[in-house]
Amino acid sequence: MSREALHESLSAVMDNEADELELRRVLADSGETELRSTWSRYQIARAAMHKELIEPRLDIAAAVSAAIADEAAPVKPAEHKRSVWQNVGRIAVAASVTVAVLAGVRLYNGGADSAPQMAQQAAQPAPSGLSVPQAQGPAMLAGYSEGEADAGQAAQDTTAVEGWHEQRLPEYVRQHAQQAAFGGSETALPYARAASMEER
Amino acid sequence: MRVIPLCVVALGGWLTMPALAADDAFQWLKRLAEAEHQQSYAGDFVYQRNGSFSTHAIWQRVAGGEVRERLLQLDGSAVEVAMVDGRPVCATQGLVPGAASGNGLGGDRFDPRVLTQSYELRVIGDSRVAGRDTVALAILPRDQHRYGMELHLDRATGLPLKSLLLNEQGQLLERFQYTRLDVGDVTPETLRTGTGCKTVEVPPAREPQPVEWRSDWLPPGFEQLESDVRSSPAADESVAWLSYGDGLARFSVFIEPLRGEVVQDARSQMGPTVAVSKRVTVDDGDVMVTVVGEIPLGTAERIALSMRKAPGLAQQ
Repeated sequence: MSREALHESLSAVMDNEADELELRRVLADSGETELRSTWSRYQIARAAMHKELIEPRLDIAAAVSAAIADEAAPVKPAEHKRSVWQNVGRIAVAASVTVAVLAGVRLYNGGADSAPQMAQQAAQPAPSGLSVPQAQGPAMLAGYSEGEADAGQAAQDTTAVEGWHEQRLPEYVRQHAQQAAFGGSETALPYARAASMEER
Repeated sequence: MRVIPLCVVALGGWLTMPALAADDAFQWLKRLAEAEHQQSYAGDFVYQRNGSFSTHAIWQRVAGGEVRERLLQLDGSAVEVAMVDGRPVCATQGLVPGAASGNGLGGDRFDPRVLTQSYELRVIGDSRVAGRDTVALAILPRDQHRYGMELHLDRATGLPLKSLLLNEQGQLLERFQYTRLDVGDVTPETLRTGTGCKTVEVPPAREPQPVEWRSDWLPPGFEQLESDVRSSPAADESVAWLSYGDGLARFSVFIEPLRGEVVQDARSQMGPTVAVSKRVTVDDGDVMVTVVGEIPLGTAERIALSMRKAPGLAQQ
């Protein structure tokens, strides 16, 4: 398998378009150290996104600024349409922003008129495009879409962080979540939601 | 002339079909409400939202009219909670005041009838979750002030095995999904918690303090569930707290005096949960109104701006 094809495979895996096991096999065969290290960096970035890494409390502002700085940095010109390096950079930015969000509560100021919608974060593990259930017929099950937003957007949204809110919002959110979790709920969903709000 | 009765029958059948589907969905939700209080089970589930993914194990044992539950997080730190009839009795992490008191008004116990005021129910088909046959229901919001849900219930027991929360654009906000479910006997041994699970002290029962705030505007279908006065997480201040629900979605309102401090408005979103802070001016100084809940951002903003001080008014 050519070097170019390997890069293409790695890129596809990052975009959730390829089978990971297949790629592992390819990597094992190739013995390319550069690709291997790219792959391991990707794994670390993804672990961070999935909260598997134990991160100490982070300075949100610093983490976000760093993410913005990284994003603004010029990217090595791509050899072909989907450069591996571009993808690594993008995932790293998304991961660092995500960690910043996990470490606290993401705050941003701005116009009040924007449509209510999920904060746009690129390259996140959560699926984004999902069809609304249809009226009749077979069950519409959740499907992953491969749509990618721009990582820069997540960084732009995060501008000012205010101390006043920082001191209170996490506790308010906890109170809200726990009240629902232990308020005689029928399912474990509010509990799981509350657990996801806990900083660890 | 023979055609007309046939038409009537056909038309009638066509008209009642959606109604039957809704009725069917309603029956399933009633079954869900019963199952959670009568069924013993053990299983594993995942929870996923924007920026968070976690796996959990659950054990529920129903015996002698008592529902005992144990929840253990399987990844990261071993967060554990044990509950008896929905009230936490031990937890590895500190709980917020009020969580253990169980002095809720009980108004938010799942009631499919309340749900139908704000949501349209539909059976959307068959599905399979955690290796079990499930029925998929759509809980569709009747207006733009709440999110929709896709719910998959176990055909054998009625237990909810999967739920997806969707915003108005159909984007997935969170996923709750079982990967394994064992129904039937759950031994008391499996409900034994680890040593890290500390007994939750039940605070002495007290009447909630009256709150001098009310909402000028609420999304249709939302009703006040609870209210109280709590202390501020960061200052020596009293915070008025009110909670509201429509039978499925919930939000909380926190009102803290600013005492002349200049603080900007703020907005944030964590998966399905939105937090909106708005500065509101009242006669005796500005306050910061914070709305936290699983509702659309625009709705939360409107609620925050609709809070009014009404001295002498309580529990309204």
